[in-house]
Amino acid sequence: MSSSEGGLTKPHLAHHFETIEKQDYAVRLGMWLFLGTEVLLFAGLFLAYTVYRHFYHEAFHEASRHLDLWAGTTNTVVLITSSLTVALAYHAIKQNKVKQCAGLLIFTIICALAFLGIKAIEYHHKFQEGALPGAFYHYAEVTAPGANLYYTVYFLSTGLHALHVIVGMSILIWILARVLKGEFSATHYVPVELGGLYWHLVDLVWIFLFPLLYLI
Amino acid sequence: MSQPSQLSTEHADKPVIPAVNYLNADRGVWSWLTTIDHKRIGVMYLVSVLIAFLLGGIFAMALRLELLTPGPTIMGANTYNRMFTLHGVVMIFLFMIPAIPGVFGNFMLPLMLGAKDVAFPKLNLLSLYLYWTGATLALAGMIMGGTDTGWTLYAPYSTTTPTTVFPIVLGIFILGFSSILTGLNFIVTIHTLRAPGMGWMRLQLFVWAIYATSIIQVLATPVIGLTVMLVGIEKVGHFGFFDPSRGGDPVLFQHFFWFYSHPAVYIMVLPAMGVISDAIAAFSRKNVFGYKMIAYSSLGIAFVGFFAWGHHMFVSGQSSLDNGAFAAISMLVGVFTAIKVFNWVATLYKGSIAVKTPFIYICGFLFFVVFGGMTGIAVATVSLDVHWHDTYFVIAHFHFIMVGAVIMAFLIALHYWFPKMFGRMYNEGWGMIAAALIVFGFNATFIPQFLLGNAGMPRRYYIYPDRYQALNVASTAGASLLAFGFLIILIYLIYALVRGPIAGDNPWGSRGYEWMTTSPPPKHNFETTPIITQDSHSYQEPGEEVEHVVI
Amino acid sequence: MAHEVNRTESGNAEHHGHGAGRYFIVWILLLIFTALTVYTGHYHPSIVLALVIATTKAALVVLFFMHMTEAPGANRLVFSVSILFMLVMMTGVFGDLLTRNPMTLPGGPTPPSEFQAP
Repeated sequence: MSSSEGGLTKPHLAHHFETIEKQDYAVRLGMWLFLGTEVLLFAGLFLAYTVYRHFYHEAFHEASRHLDLWAGTTNTVVLITSSLTVALAYHAIKQNKVKQCAGLLIFTIICALAFLGIKAIEYHHKFQEGALPGAFYHYAEVTAPGANLYYTVYFLSTGLHALHVIVGMSILIWILARVLKGEFSATHYVPVELGGLYWHLVDLVWIFLFPLLYLI
Repeated sequence: MSQPSQLSTEHADKPVIPAVNYLNADRGVWSWLTTIDHKRIGVMYLVSVLIAFLLGGIFAMALRLELLTPGPTIMGANTYNRMFTLHGVVMIFLFMIPAIPGVFGNFMLPLMLGAKDVAFPKLNLLSLYLYWTGATLALAGMIMGGTDTGWTLYAPYSTTTPTTVFPIVLGIFILGFSSILTGLNFIVTIHTLRAPGMGWMRLQLFVWAIYATSIIQVLATPVIGLTVMLVGIEKVGHFGFFDPSRGGDPVLFQHFFWFYSHPAVYIMVLPAMGVISDAIAAFSRKNVFGYKMIAYSSLGIAFVGFFAWGHHMFVSGQSSLDNGAFAAISMLVGVFTAIKVFNWVATLYKGSIAVKTPFIYICGFLFFVVFGGMTGIAVATVSLDVHWHDTYFVIAHFHFIMVGAVIMAFLIALHYWFPKMFGRMYNEGWGMIAAALIVFGFNATFIPQFLLGNAGMPRRYYIYPDRYQALNVASTAGASLLAFGFLIILIYLIYALVRGPIAGDNPWGSRGYEWMTTSPPPKHNFETTPIITQDSHSYQEPGEEVEHVVI
Repeated sequence: MAHEVNRTESGNAEHHGHGAGRYFIVWILLLIFTALTVYTGHYHPSIVLALVIATTKAALVVLFFMHMTEAPGANRLVFSVSILFMLVMMTGVFGDLLTRNPMTLPGGPTPPSEFQAP
């Protein structure tokens, strides 16, 4: 898909685009549109959270105290750092530092795995405690009306978010494979940028989920 | 390629179909299934949505047959509930939403922009595959018994009914993805693949309409995706999100659902209006009156459409404040639609009218969109809707728009662009007969329903008091005429496909950019990228008289 | 860090001499804000404050990590409109919930034994 000349690779120009610049503009616009759809997708869950929080204020407040704050905070730091490293990876490949880019992407992927691991442990605790959504709720410590809805919102939002973490991570693994094959360089790097954009969205969603679920 | 092509009637030589065009450039089923040619994808969408339309139509006829008598006629009550649900789901998600953008948007958009394809051709093919997958899942759900919730899937019934909900909501979810990707593709195409010289104010009005539609598709569809996902999860997992016995709020479901489903009706109607704009210009051979107003009103409808969803919820328990706000905002849509209607009529005025089959449908469209639109304003008035909500009045209103406006526009697009897509012309005589049947049949079907609704007959009711029978019978008779009309169209179009006379590159003498290439177009649309030097729909120079031509 | 911004055909500004330093600065700021939100969440819990901090963090990510400062207008418009419509959805729903008849509002789950049929 690209030709190599003295370490610099060329992107493949599709037959219907006149110039590479137009093609780059198009794929960036396409990705931003897709990110727009993701915003609207999570919007519904944030709305549900706000609505039910308004009516079950006590339950939501109490239940959030019972979430593992350190797990949540660690996950936030992990995601923020992974956002940094993916931005640095993009920066590196634009300067033709292929090895640095690959290393940073690997670090990002490890952060993603760490996030998922911590989430898995948290979910496991919830299952043990009985803090489950809806009909399955039997967590003795929070009994205020509406507590089951808190955990419904919790599992739905963090679950959907975790799904996006998996998808984002897979995209980054795919990009990493292409970096290792030598496909990208200072003249061909847009896919790295796009993969990074998606990853930043995943971080963005968590930036809002964390305080709303864990802190207040 | 900067000169519009001459009328084919001005040629001395016989019109020909180019020996190699997009239809025969690559052979074999596999070449079609793996194509990235937007024209082939458009044709495959055409076949798919027509099958869906046939299916939805069969469900509709079943409903109308059942309603011939006040008591049970041909089916039981549970079957009736499933029938109207499936009629709604199939017609809306498998036909109305994808039809004009998927078929004509795909086929015409690159041609109208002077481009060789859409921005992301492979994504386009993926949209088609997602459509097939979603449609298959929904159909599988129907075969497994179907659901009886109504297409609106209101919770908590949809999450607690024992009927088959999950495959259908999963199908809708996947169809939503198809819609999002198509919209995304079209927006990027319009931004980046316009030919040199084609500024935004030279875009054809169909392109503006598709652009506005795509914005809605991209921004609204994720919300229905989430909503049906929540219904599916709640049905399977009993989470209690919308279940009052678990602390949930059923009206919240309605908010989620209608936040998409109201803009969705503009996904259906905006492309239809775009078709009308293009067709009116072509069949009156006149520059469009108020080009900018029509273009901006498309964007206006798309924007305002997002703010008006609560008018479906006037009797749901929604607050009076919201009721009033949503009612007031809904009126704005009427303003934008009226702007379009006035401009269309002004375009027709003193034009060189070609009374061909598409023109009959244009006349039908104008009447139906005004009538349907005005009844829309009526039901958007809270004090009136309190009586009309969930009656046949509402059904008649939205069928006036969805069938009377959108399907008329689909038929116009089909007839107007048939020669472009296939190089052959259909038989005008049969076209006129079918058009008359359809316009008449449509009136006979749905005007009685306005009267029924106003008299108090509720919708989704399996049996009804005797005094409503006469109007119901009239409505069913009309529906039969309608069905007969559609059948005639199917027959003569298939005939034209195989044995119709060759149409030539531009049988209508239209100034649309898509007519500047051969009919059918070559695989890559244009041999060299055209340079655009004139405005769209430009039939006369400023100040020039309309040329009266017989085509 | 003044640098020339030339818009290329692809719409993105070229960076002349903009190093990786700004990413690290943003990262440090994000960590500081995270610490701040954890602290205030514990001692002064307030949804408004939490959202203000979260929005600031999000703005930093969008503007600098996602290069929104250099993005072409179309991309900015897309993102802004998505946020706007999300707010429209929330306003409409909240407007309803806050002004509805209180009897129609969700209460806690009703234990079956306490439900009295008329």
